[in-house]
Amino acid sequence: MTVATILEMVLGAVVLGLGAWTIAARETFAATVGYVAYGLLVPLIWVRLDAVDVALTEAAIGGGLGGVLLLGAAARLRASEPAAAAETPGKIVRLGAAGASVMVAAALSAAVLLLPDPAPTLAPAAIANASATGLANPVTNVLMAFRAMDTMLEKVVLLLAIVGVWSLASDQAWGGRPGPRHQADPHGVFAFLARLLPPVGIVVGIYMFWTGADHPGGAFQGGSMLAAMWLLVIMAGLTDTPPASGRWLRLVLIAGPGVFLAVGLGGVCFGLAFLAYPPTNAKPLILGIEVAMVLTIAVTLGLLVAGAPERSPQR
Amino acid sequence: MTEFLTAALGFILAMLALGLVPILRGPGDADRMMAAQLIGTGGIAALLLLGAVTGVPAAADVALTVALLATFASIAFVKKGLPHLDADEASSTEDR
Repeated sequence: MTVATILEMVLGAVVLGLGAWTIAARETFAATVGYVAYGLLVPLIWVRLDAVDVALTEAAIGGGLGGVLLLGAAARLRASEPAAAAETPGKIVRLGAAGASVMVAAALSAAVLLLPDPAPTLAPAAIANASATGLANPVTNVLMAFRAMDTMLEKVVLLLAIVGVWSLASDQAWGGRPGPRHQADPHGVFAFLARLLPPVGIVVGIYMFWTGADHPGGAFQGGSMLAAMWLLVIMAGLTDTPPASGRWLRLVLIAGPGVFLAVGLGGVCFGLAFLAYPPTNAKPLILGIEVAMVLTIAVTLGLLVAGAPERSPQR
Repeated sequence: MTEFLTAALGFILAMLALGLVPILRGPGDADRMMAAQLIGTGGIAALLLLGAVTGVPAAADVALTVALLATFASIAFVKKGLPHLDADEASSTEDR
């Protein structure tokens, strides 16, 4: 057993232990911190498995935006937490929950153990046809060309998610601004950081998207970075969340799936098939779709974390 | 050189595992928050070393993402996790 194997085993054990503790922790805030730390450690495992694209997404969503979303939920639940902790469910409920969990775990492990060896894969075909699009990153090739339909529908799902969040608004706040109006000392450390970090973050976000054509990265990772920077400026009180009824906001929200759909229909019009790119122009078209997608993803993720409209549009 | 980098990686992973102890034990929310920041910093170092040892240059991009988003998460800790530090709480009542 080499040193590297031992290190991998230690890393795996640490992450598994942290995951188990996060599930077992009773206090919501402690569990949330555990989840954020877990999200910061899991990318190490993905990098070790040579899945850098997944590592980037996990770092952006698990450690960053997902953690902030859960922290917001923990802050909201803080008042009702003692009452909820005092209520212990009955024995039948606990046994039922344990039984259901064991069954799900058993089904998952059976599915993993029964996988055929070698696993059926389309990876060689994806690598062999990489030259068709002019992009060197096989993950981007699959997402944007070979399985473009799935990616387009995912963007529609993002749109549905934001509609779902917005529909939680009360009648008074309908079409209003999401979340509270944040305030911070305009000369304090926080406002300084909110001015210092976003320029760096915006460059890194655009770089993530641009490098995604040939190296690990892509529109989702870049968009989530931009969303984080936007939320940082909002939390420092330097700007306010846009009202949900804003026309420009809604245009940006539908830009990603809209451009994707338009290019897809263009494929039908010009004699190929739905979502088929002409081989000579595949790369510019894909990059064009991704530009619209970065904007949509950034705004959608930011608004999903910001939450339902809470203030009427006039205020 | 690779042996040295691997040893450094092992040392940092051990420190990361130690850094988990305050997250698990607390006692306060602030202690947990500081420990999570330490995990972020150690994670960046581990990612850079891992990228160098295994020859995955894109690991630097992951480290960059972790660096920016761990900062972002720590801001959210202060804003939402520690009510007595929250400037919003004192100045407005429409938060809740």
